Amino acid sequence: MGRKTTEEIQEVLEAVWTLEEQGSATVDKVVRSAETTVSDELLGRLESEGLLSVNSSGRIRLLPEGRQIAEKIIRRHRLAERLICDVLGYQVEDSEAAACEYEHVLAEGITNSICTLLGHPRYCPHNKPIPEGECCRQASRALTPIAVSCDQLQVGESARIAYFSTKEHSRLLKLSALGITPGVTLKLIQKWPACVVQCEETEIAFEPDVAQNIYVWQTPKE
Amino acid sequence: MAMNPSPKSSRKVVLVGNPNVGKSIIFRILTGSYVMVSNFPGTTVEVSRGRMQLGGNIYEVVDTPGINSLVPQSEDERVTCEILLREKPDVIVQVADAKNLRRTLLITSQLVEFGIPMVLALNMIDEAEDRGIDVDSRGLSELFSIPAIKTIAIYSKGRKQLLNAIQNAHPPCNPIQALYSRESIVKALDNPAPPALLCIEWLAGKNDDLIHTLEGCMGAAAFTRLKEWREHYWSAGHNYPAREVSGLRNRFLDRSVARYKKKKKSRSLKESGNVKKVWFGLLLAGLLFFAWNEFGGLLRIPTPYDLAMRQAGKSLNAFAAQANPGGDLFRDIVLGLNKDGNFEFGLLPEAVHLLFFIVPVIVPLAVLLSRSRSFAREMGELSRRPSTGIPILLGVLLLLYEFVGYTGAQTLVGLLENAFFEQHFIPWLRALIPEGFLWNLLVGEYGLISMGITYAVGIVLPVVGAFFIAFGLLEDSGYLPRLSILSDRLMRVMGLNGKAILPMVLGFGCVTMATMSTRILSSKRERLITTLLLSLGIPCSAQLGVIMGIAAGFTVKATLVIIGVVASQLLLVGYLSSLLIRGQPSEFIFEIPPIRMPQMKNVVLKTMYRIKWYLKEAVPLFLAGTLVLFFMDSVRIHGQSLLVSFQKGLEPVLSGLLHLPTEAAGIFLLGFLRRDYGAAGLYELSRDGMLTGQQVVVSLIVITLFVPCIATFLMIIKEQGWKKALAIAGFIVPFAVSVGTVVGWILRTFDIQFN
Repeated sequence: MGRKTTEEIQEVLEAVWTLEEQGSATVDKVVRSAETTVSDELLGRLESEGLLSVNSSGRIRLLPEGRQIAEKIIRRHRLAERLICDVLGYQVEDSEAAACEYEHVLAEGITNSICTLLGHPRYCPHNKPIPEGECCRQASRALTPIAVSCDQLQVGESARIAYFSTKEHSRLLKLSALGITPGVTLKLIQKWPACVVQCEETEIAFEPDVAQNIYVWQTPKE
Repeated sequence: MAMNPSPKSSRKVVLVGNPNVGKSIIFRILTGSYVMVSNFPGTTVEVSRGRMQLGGNIYEVVDTPGINSLVPQSEDERVTCEILLREKPDVIVQVADAKNLRRTLLITSQLVEFGIPMVLALNMIDEAEDRGIDVDSRGLSELFSIPAIKTIAIYSKGRKQLLNAIQNAHPPCNPIQALYSRESIVKALDNPAPPALLCIEWLAGKNDDLIHTLEGCMGAAAFTRLKEWREHYWSAGHNYPAREVSGLRNRFLDRSVARYKKKKKSRSLKESGNVKKVWFGLLLAGLLFFAWNEFGGLLRIPTPYDLAMRQAGKSLNAFAAQANPGGDLFRDIVLGLNKDGNFEFGLLPEAVHLLFFIVPVIVPLAVLLSRSRSFAREMGELSRRPSTGIPILLGVLLLLYEFVGYTGAQTLVGLLENAFFEQHFIPWLRALIPEGFLWNLLVGEYGLISMGITYAVGIVLPVVGAFFIAFGLLEDSGYLPRLSILSDRLMRVMGLNGKAILPMVLGFGCVTMATMSTRILSSKRERLITTLLLSLGIPCSAQLGVIMGIAAGFTVKATLVIIGVVASQLLLVGYLSSLLIRGQPSEFIFEIPPIRMPQMKNVVLKTMYRIKWYLKEAVPLFLAGTLVLFFMDSVRIHGQSLLVSFQKGLEPVLSGLLHLPTEAAGIFLLGFLRRDYGAAGLYELSRDGMLTGQQVVVSLIVITLFVPCIATFLMIIKEQGWKKALAIAGFIVPFAVSVGTVVGWILRTFDIQFN
């Protein structure tokens, strides 16, 4: 935490984390997938700093300290993607490059604010898990998230739609055609067995899964 | 009514609008021809065309499927876009639900881009006013420079103004175009015929069909530019212009809604609270009365209905003994006294039945629904919440049973099949036709008339007719989509979603028709599972009537066992098939229409339309089925008819596995012709005392699960192809027999008696 790590070190740790998510990380794979040139010297430095260990067969494992750093980078990266896609409305592909920039510069406080703003999302737009932060673990109650998924509203509560968190284009289009688009105010009128919302004078029913895709601003802005 | 693509002399009017806003009713007002109308989104699946005459011109009127946006996401929306692009109408009439202004204006803002003369019909203005919404039609009219007319289509209100506006329609203006700053595409298209901003949105999605149509509509040069432009943005990997356009639209809509939709004091505040209270009290009393008559027998409490029937029977018997004014026919049909002097199944007993069961509930309900909007809204709310919705559902099912199962399946069937066909018409024909092949073919045991027509017209038609009326009422009231909400979780177990409840409910009327209506489901997988379940375990109303008749002779326990076994098998098979048949359940996003008082005229029209369909589609299938049986009966091998050999072949299964008497063989064979037919055979067997209680339960379970009737089977072939149809039958037959075997074994082993 306290120690400054260089960007190239961060890139290596990020690559190892991602590869471990997919299975296991080896020197070969890290060299291929990291966004920086990975030299033996660089790996050696990481090893000597106690961030990771390389065994004889070339398999790399993150050590606790390295894991901690990597987790934060991944978290920043994936939260940034969410922010860029959902709130700023860019395509997933476009968000990638910008997120790569953000991951190195966001301060921890700002990261947590973004996370809270977005309602502690659990997956990035690519459907990969976003590591939990301090704010997710303890503060989801203490701080009120600014955006929550619409199934967390109380029955009878109205809120303005902030953004959708789904990759499925068809679902987005279906919803927007029924008048459910960001900026519109909806009212949750039933939660079970299916969610029913009222949008203008139309009642629309959908399954809970869809409700979790619709994020609304906690306090109506009207 | 339907006609070929327009002769050039006529002008063309296209009706466009959201689903369930009344396009089809406006179509009927304009052309006078009928389109199936329902209070149910997505009823118009095909494009209807009609004609009207106006100010010396002939107009061709085209009714399009409901759309939510002209950036198509569904087949319906694509069809509508293509009609607008290809057919180049002279006038577009946008039919709108006045209370949903945002959704309306989204389509308006897209339609004006076509530059075609346009009229906006703000329909259902009464419902908007009831909710305290005042739409500034003059303001909208100025905004788009088109006539905006307030209408109430079901009462033909605003018709004159609408016709006038169609005659004088002129091209609209496009308020968004001016807001759009990125000029490149608009310029690149050189003032194209097709709508520029829509082009941008179409290009962003994968609308290849539509883009192909575009190519035909615009010049080659403009199309090439369009394609280059698209490549440019796609290679850059983004859709910024499309996002910009939809953002622009959203902001425009927000602003317009804020400006033109005004709140005012709701008219329903003026609604008399006392009238509502009085009728609500009557409704509660009616429900209590209904429950008393319905369940009194179970609790061994004398019911008003039984008393009335006994009293009426006594006095009518005395009356008939003295006077006998109209002979046998009068006694049978009007008085409803059968040979033993029992008072049942005639016009008079039916009147008593209606008076004690249907009228006390339906009349207050109808008055409340048509007089009190707030009651309609409350009903809508109550019927979608499980705690109140499930009791309401049970009430609806009981009423449905009283009307379809009793009035339809017992009274009308008794009158038509028993009194008319069996007692009078068939004997008369049998005497008329000389004996011989023709006699056998037409009026013999398996005759086309004595069996085919008698069953199709005498038994199934009244039942299905009554069901169509009840279903039409339910459909137009807007109740059915609320069932989807209630059943979504349960349906999910079977790999389906709430939408699939509609074909299932329809199946209780006629499984053949329900099989056809599986088309409303969005994925092939859902259609297949629903079809399988329909033919496995949903008894149609004709069969249900007979099953109820048999079960009534036994105990409540027997009925519960039958329902329990069939329902659990449905769930089990549904669950297993959801695992076996690959694919994800499609998502459930569904618009719930408001509860409305059904329009009688519309229900009648719709029922006639469906009965016509039944006569045209299903009756030939009955005749075909009868013919098959007739030949199986006539063809003799080794001195034995094919039918008999077939029955003999079934015997080991029946006596060995199911422990049923061999006479049941013929019944199971008949069960394929009509499931209720088989059940009716069982009814006779059990009445003759040839079956024990256990045997009745086992055979009813088997015949319910057993293959659907031949008409359904042919419909499955039509919808799913013969391979899947055979697979379904090949699964169901052994499955039904195995379930029957297991249930029979359990009943015998644990000595569970039903007598």
